[in-house]
Parts: sequence; structure tokens; C-alpha cells
Amino acid sequence: MTSPSLKWLMLVAALALAAIYLFPLYWMYVTSLKSSSEIFANPPTFIPRNTDLSIFPEVWQRRTMSTYLWNSLVIAFGVTTLTVIFGTGAAYVLSRYRNVWIDLGLFFILMLQVLPASVMVTPLYVGFNVVGLLDYPRLAVILAAAAKAMPFFVVLVRATFMTVPRELEEAALMDGNSRWGAFFFVVLPLARNGTLVCAILTFMQAFGEYIYSKSIIQTPALQPASVGLSGFLGPNSTDWNSIMAYAAIYVTPILATFVILQRRIVAGLTSGALK
Amino acid sequence: MLGSLRDGVGFDMLLIGASMLFLIALAGLPLIYNVMMSFQEVDMFTLGSLFRPFVGLENYREVLAEPIFWPVMINTLVFVVGSMAGQFVLGFSLAIFFAQKFPYSGTIRGLFLVSWVMPGLVVGAIWGWILAGDFGVLNVILRGIGVIDTNLFWKSDPALSLWAVIIANIWLGLAFNMLLLSVGLAAIPGDLYEAAELDGANAFQRFWTITLPMMRPTIGAVLALGLIGTLQQFDLFPALTEGGPANSSNVAQYLSWQYSFQLYDFAKGATVSVMMFVLVLFASIVYVRSTRHEVRG
Repeated sequence: MTSPSLKWLMLVAALALAAIYLFPLYWMYVTSLKSSSEIFANPPTFIPRNTDLSIFPEVWQRRTMSTYLWNSLVIAFGVTTLTVIFGTGAAYVLSRYRNVWIDLGLFFILMLQVLPASVMVTPLYVGFNVVGLLDYPRLAVILAAAAKAMPFFVVLVRATFMTVPRELEEAALMDGNSRWGAFFFVVLPLARNGTLVCAILTFMQAFGEYIYSKSIIQTPALQPASVGLSGFLGPNSTDWNSIMAYAAIYVTPILATFVILQRRIVAGLTSGALK
Repeated sequence: MLGSLRDGVGFDMLLIGASMLFLIALAGLPLIYNVMMSFQEVDMFTLGSLFRPFVGLENYREVLAEPIFWPVMINTLVFVVGSMAGQFVLGFSLAIFFAQKFPYSGTIRGLFLVSWVMPGLVVGAIWGWILAGDFGVLNVILRGIGVIDTNLFWKSDPALSLWAVIIANIWLGLAFNMLLLSVGLAAIPGDLYEAAELDGANAFQRFWTITLPMMRPTIGAVLALGLIGTLQQFDLFPALTEGGPANSSNVAQYLSWQYSFQLYDFAKGATVSVMMFVLVLFASIVYVRSTRHEVRG
């Protein structure tokens, strides 16, 4: 249908589109490499004249990024653990039966998926205050963010479980396995890859979590990197190469993970997101 | 009982029950509590108690009487429609482009999704720099290709500030739109197009008579998810404009947070978020209806 030369032309066009789309990321890295005087050069340089890496250790020190990133890791790890433990079981059960109760459960989950965090943050804060959870602000954020992340995880992982043939599970039960055995040693290993990708997606999202942390965690030593970044952002910020260096340090691990797992992430999303 | 936990439905009930309890405790109950709070008088003294003086619709009356209420609602509408239109039109165009058969189309398409995994605050920071008035690269590019003569102050001009957030939000959500629409496009059988081509239909006719009708359920789901997603967008506001200048870029979700966490008026914060929830509820009914047959499948 399409001639070979047209195909290559389309490839070039696709690369150009991707380059335009990814320009903001390029601009982040390039800005972080420029000296502070070159940043305000007019016209701006699209390739930095003399790269200056000293901003990275400086921002790392000055903005206490090790503390912030550690807190981000703690929160993301907590959210992912809770989401995987609770979400996998729910996704499995929701994939195995078809009746009114399952439909109701799915409806409930879909409703929770659409709740904006900005709607939930006020009652959660006041509720956590009543039960005393505000004394453990990171735990409070983990609980809140896990409840936010779980519905999407369940919807995606359920699609993965749907691809595991029921016959294999039934065979395992015939062979004398308990439900626990069949679940942990037959079904779960077969759904391992899909579940893992969704867990990593959950981790990446939680690593960037902002609204709950900003509202709940008052102590700077316990705040994650997103709140640390917001500390020197604002309508009148001018310290752009520090901000971009901070942003670059913060997102590079996420970008690297994404690039490595890109195929699987896209496959996982396409199979689950609309089903 | 224990045997059922090991071998029967008890096992399923345990798995689903635990997660449902977790979700009810951390999403269901707070939602109900939120509605309750919107009818109560909440201040710093009563913050720690579960039950407070009941004030009826007083909070709603106060919120509606705020001079910024209707401007912020109109901003919310502009933000939602503008973001959705941009994400959908650009996402659909890209989905159709990448549905053509050429080498590496899938891999390059996948690269677009990096915007979706980026922390919202970082996206806001990057766009804050791109859109900066004096030294922002977007102004330089627009001047270079002759679209504008003088620099636009995207973040500090009240006429543009909301659009600064919309532009960043379109970039953030475009890839997800494209991915979902690509799934719908891939499900259309190719021989339909071949038959239409044999009948002499041109590309536009094929799009109008085959692509659009076949995509209707997908488009419905994508638009509903887009509405939900834009109402969920929060991080870009504190990162870019903080709702300013003079609330010109403020929207309901940010206003609600400002009431609670900047003015410590939790009752008003809860009231605005209940109003938002009603809106989201409407969107999610559309979404659930459009995906119902797939959910059962």
C-alpha cells in the first residue's frame, strides 16, 4: 500500500514530531548545563557553549536533596507495597467471577479512580487529625496516596489476570492444591510480568506525589522531593539553572526506568486502560 | 469456616474484603465526611472533633457569595474545555499518524508517554521556564517564526496565565489520549478500509464513514477520562502560577485546596470539593456507561 520511500519519509516525520514533543525535556537538561549568565543570553543558545557541571553537586548540597529523595523513596515504596498487597487480591477476584456483586465492586473501584486528590485532601487531613495520624505524616501520606493509586492498579492488573487461563488454575486444584497454593504458585507466576509493570508504574507515580505531601507533611526533614522543588518555584522565580538541575536529578531515574521498560509499560497500558 | 478460607469462596472474600475495607476506610468514609463537613462550622478549635455545630447551607451560601467564585468556575470550564480539546485533537492526529505502517512507529509512539510518568511538579517547573516572559524559549521561537512581535508574559498577564497552565496540561495529557485512541484505531478491521478504497472513497470519506463511527465507544471513554483527568490536575497550578495573578488562573480544585491549606477554612474547602465531586460524578457516569460492555468482557 505504501511505497518504501514514503515509509522512510514517515519515519523522519515521526522522529521530528517526537523531537518537538520531547523538547521540554531537552531544554531542562540543557539549561541545567549552562552557566547562569548563558541562561539569560539573547537569543538563547540551543547547544550550551561551555558546559558547567558544578551546579549538580551544589544544588544537591544546598537544597538537601538526599533527604528529599530519601523521603520520596520511602513514600513511593510504602505506596507501592500497600497497593500491590491489597490491589493484587482485589484484581484477581474481580477477574474470576461475573455477577452483580463483581459489577458493583468494579463500579465502586471505577468511581474511586475518578476522585480528584484535591477533593480528598481536605477530609483526609481533618480525619487524620481526629485519629492522630498527623503525628506520623509520612505514613499518613502513604495511606492516602495508596488509596488513590489502587483503583488504577486494580483495573490494569485485572486485565492481566484475565489473560491467565482458568483451566490451569482448575487443573492445579484437581491436583490437590489449596486455593492459596493455586493462587500463589500457578496464577500469580503467570501474571507476574503484568503485575510487576503495574507496580513499577505505581512506584513512579508515587515518586512524584505532591498534593498529599504538601498538605500533610509540615516538617521539611520528612518532605519528599516534589515539595522540596516547590519550595523554590513560583511566579517570580529566576534561579532557573538550579531549578532545572534539581528537576534533572529528580526525574532522571524515572526517565531511565521508563526508557528501559518502555515496551512493557505501553503494552500493559494498552491492554488494561480501556478494559 | 477455616476450610472455606483455604479452599473455597472464603479465600476470595478475604482477598476482596481486605482491599475493599482499605478503600472504604481511606476513600469512601472521607468522602462522606467531606459532605458532612460542608454542612458544619469548622475552625481551628473544632478541627480535632468529629462532630461540630451544624450550620445547614451556610457554607454553600458563603462560598457562592465570594466575588471570586464565578470567575473561578468560568476558569475551570475554560481549563477543562481548552485542555481536553487540545489533548484530544492533537492526540487523535498523532494516533492516526502512528497507525500508518512505517518502521519503528510503535517505539517512537511509546516515547511520547514519558510525559505521562513525569512528576506534575517537574513538568510545571520546566514549562514555567519555557513560558517565562523575558527569557523563555517559547517567546524566542514564536518571535523567530514571526507569530508575535513582543514577548508574551504567559504567567503574569491575567489574559494569558490560565493558558500557560492549559499548554502545560495539554503536553502532559496528550500522550495518554494518543495511546487510548491508538488502541481503538488498531481494533478497526483493515479490510473495511480496503473495501472502501475499492469503492473509490477518499481518505477524508474513509475517516468520516469508517474511523469515526467505529471509534465512537473509544472516543466516549477518552473524552470522559479527559474530563476526569483535567479535573484531577493540581500540581501544575502551584508550580506555574499559584492561581494568580489575581485569581486569573485559579480553578475549583486549586481554590478548594487554598481554602483548606492556605486560609485554614476547612469548611469552605470541603464545600468547594463537594461541588467538584458532583461534577466528577457526572463525568464518571458517562465513563462507566461507555466502558460497561468492556468491563464485563
